[in-house]
Amino acid sequence: MKMNNKIKWMFLLGAVFMVTLPVHALAGKVYKLGLSLAITGPTSDAGNPYSKGVEDYFNFVNDTKMLGDDKIECMIRDDQYNNDITKRNFEDFVSQGIVFYLNYSTGSTLALKKDFEEEKIPVLPASFHAGNLTDSNYIFLPIASYSAQAIGLAEYIVKTHQGGTPKVALFIHPSAFGRGPVEDLQKAVKAGLKMEIVEVVEHGKDLDNSAMLKRLLSKGVQYVISQTVQSPVATMLKDAASLGLTAKTFGEVGKLTFLGCHYTGGNDLVALAGPAAENFYWTTSYIVTNEPSAGATAQLDLAKKYNRDEKAANSHNYANGMMVAQVATEVIKRAKAKGKEINKANLYEELLAMNGDKAFSPGTTVGPVTFSKTDHAGVDSLQLYVVKDGLFRSTGTPFIPVYTDKIK
Amino acid sequence: MSVNRWLATGNYFTSYKEEQRIFFTSLDRSAMGLLLLGLFLWPLFIQLDNKYMLVIDNILVAVVAVMGLNLVTGFAGLISIGHAAFVGVGAYTIASFARVMGENHILLTHAWPLMIVVAGCIGAIFGGIVGLPALRLKHLYLAIATLSFQMIFQWTINFMDFFNQGQTISVSRVTWVTGQVSRSQHYTFWYYAILGVIVLAGFAVRNLLRTRYGRCLVAVRDNDRAADAMGMHPGFTKVYAFALAGFLAGVAGALHAYLYRGVGVESFTLHHSISFLAMAIVGGLGTLHGSFLGPLAIKLLDLQVERLSEWVGNHLTIATNLATALKPLSFGLVIVLFLMFEPRGIANWWRIVRSYVKLWPFKY
Repeated sequence: MKMNNKIKWMFLLGAVFMVTLPVHALAGKVYKLGLSLAITGPTSDAGNPYSKGVEDYFNFVNDTKMLGDDKIECMIRDDQYNNDITKRNFEDFVSQGIVFYLNYSTGSTLALKKDFEEEKIPVLPASFHAGNLTDSNYIFLPIASYSAQAIGLAEYIVKTHQGGTPKVALFIHPSAFGRGPVEDLQKAVKAGLKMEIVEVVEHGKDLDNSAMLKRLLSKGVQYVISQTVQSPVATMLKDAASLGLTAKTFGEVGKLTFLGCHYTGGNDLVALAGPAAENFYWTTSYIVTNEPSAGATAQLDLAKKYNRDEKAANSHNYANGMMVAQVATEVIKRAKAKGKEINKANLYEELLAMNGDKAFSPGTTVGPVTFSKTDHAGVDSLQLYVVKDGLFRSTGTPFIPVYTDKIK
Repeated sequence: MSVNRWLATGNYFTSYKEEQRIFFTSLDRSAMGLLLLGLFLWPLFIQLDNKYMLVIDNILVAVVAVMGLNLVTGFAGLISIGHAAFVGVGAYTIASFARVMGENHILLTHAWPLMIVVAGCIGAIFGGIVGLPALRLKHLYLAIATLSFQMIFQWTINFMDFFNQGQTISVSRVTWVTGQVSRSQHYTFWYYAILGVIVLAGFAVRNLLRTRYGRCLVAVRDNDRAADAMGMHPGFTKVYAFALAGFLAGVAGALHAYLYRGVGVESFTLHHSISFLAMAIVGGLGTLHGSFLGPLAIKLLDLQVERLSEWVGNHLTIATNLATALKPLSFGLVIVLFLMFEPRGIANWWRIVRSYVKLWPFKY
């Protein structure tokens, strides 16, 4: 009888405990992440869809219970492309206990490099500047660096060009973002890449590039590799088209063939340059939505699920944002599967282990994401696209530039 | 007539010396003492996140810079729209030492107060040089001369490899008597350091205005020919006004470099020069406390507009351009409104409140 009473009391106590158990204890854990980027201000045309990609993917993770009862809370703040504001946002995120940080611009990534080291926090920026990785252990580039992209384009020129050494001009943004690949391209030329860099043009806010284009042509330049954002490229392409200087076929003699790295291309370029964008060659590691693939379908479905407009849904910057969110989610998933606590150190370890058979294929890129202690560039493969009838279309298969390793 | 030193309702000066006092009443002195005590003590009782400490430190750095601008534009009447470049000169002095000697050199980490003074001196030299056109130029023409210095500064930094082409040059953490200032102490440490600089600079400026050199500034501003006729040297006065402004700007730049632990050109652009000018106008040109109130008002306004822009950018995607324009729009509007309706700035509101309190319950 006494035993029965004891069981009754224990049962009652258990019931009371269950009823009074705080709801959040049952609701799983919340992992905090931070993203500071230009939602407004300079480069917001890229930053805005990027932020939507990140936001939508994390909402998708939470809505579909991809992490079980656990949730990801990604705080997204506008920094207006201003390093001082980025620093303030980062300090805010750190004091709120983030375990993973997503950054945006080249300038702020370089400026906060020391903070990342001290905080020992893994960082995925939207900047693919190779210099981000110098003296840094915690910064990871989502895809091949701008240098690798420019070298990839240069290799394609050398491979495809007919007759003599191709003469190339570089059209770059007047900042570390733009200047980054110049030195590496020069190194590649020294290392044996058979092309001549005739001129490096740092563009300003020019409204007309006619004189520059004529000058380049008079120097025998046939190819212009751009490492900047879309609007100056669009201005250049329109000027070239109006002067009749745009090559209709790759490497057409007496004309200019235009090529560009990740942030020069995409649908925004076609929207800005119109028909002048035809035959523009562009390289990136991301897929495009006008070509059917599982990644493109996933991207369009995600954008549709969260009511994004056509422009955002088809933007490669939306894919870019989505991809970094996928990588962050994947490392959390992997750490969880191993029973590890979700913290900065463990997520860093998981990122470093993302290689070999543990490489991650997000679908939004043309190759797998691989990281290791010595490799902090995620997707090594690049795809070359060319504008045909107002759409970027693949030309050839994904490739990995050879000279990036040769110049190390 | 006996004078109540605590509740003086007017200026009962019986000697020139009395008129030159730093504090006119004991109440003023006590209030200032209490304010300073409060400013030094509150971080011991209230723990703010790094984010907020960074905002506060940033305001304090702007206060130092605007104090300099107020000397040249407010007191001496010489328009300078290149003040951010002078701040940049101070910051890049620290960065240059870091580039040449290594960022962890003992001079930068241990002798940082000396480095701040050196940065101020370099700022003063540049200020003096840029001030030379003031001997021949006035008003808008002088403004253009200072603008050209701003442009030359930006161009030089952007294109010289030595300055890392404008990208961030790292500056190390400093060492204090307790050892290296850690990440968790960083912003509070610099709060005290910058506050110390402000107190010193504030008293220095207040004292300067009591000297013949300070009065020369005001005399040259009001009528340089009359000042010349009175035996002052307008040319020398203008050049040293620029040099003094350059000194304080250089100090502000060095503090900025240490606070952000790096120097990049984007913190010293024309936009920042206009911001400093706006802070001086909104605070009250030609007043010392305007140099405190202006940066506080503009930086807080900036924060609120940033939030609004972010909200608009997030919720009204089609209005991203509008969101981008909100900051410069509100900024310009505030300057125009102040110039139209309160050209004497917030300092004038402070003067009205003080007069009201002094005369209460009577009205003047």
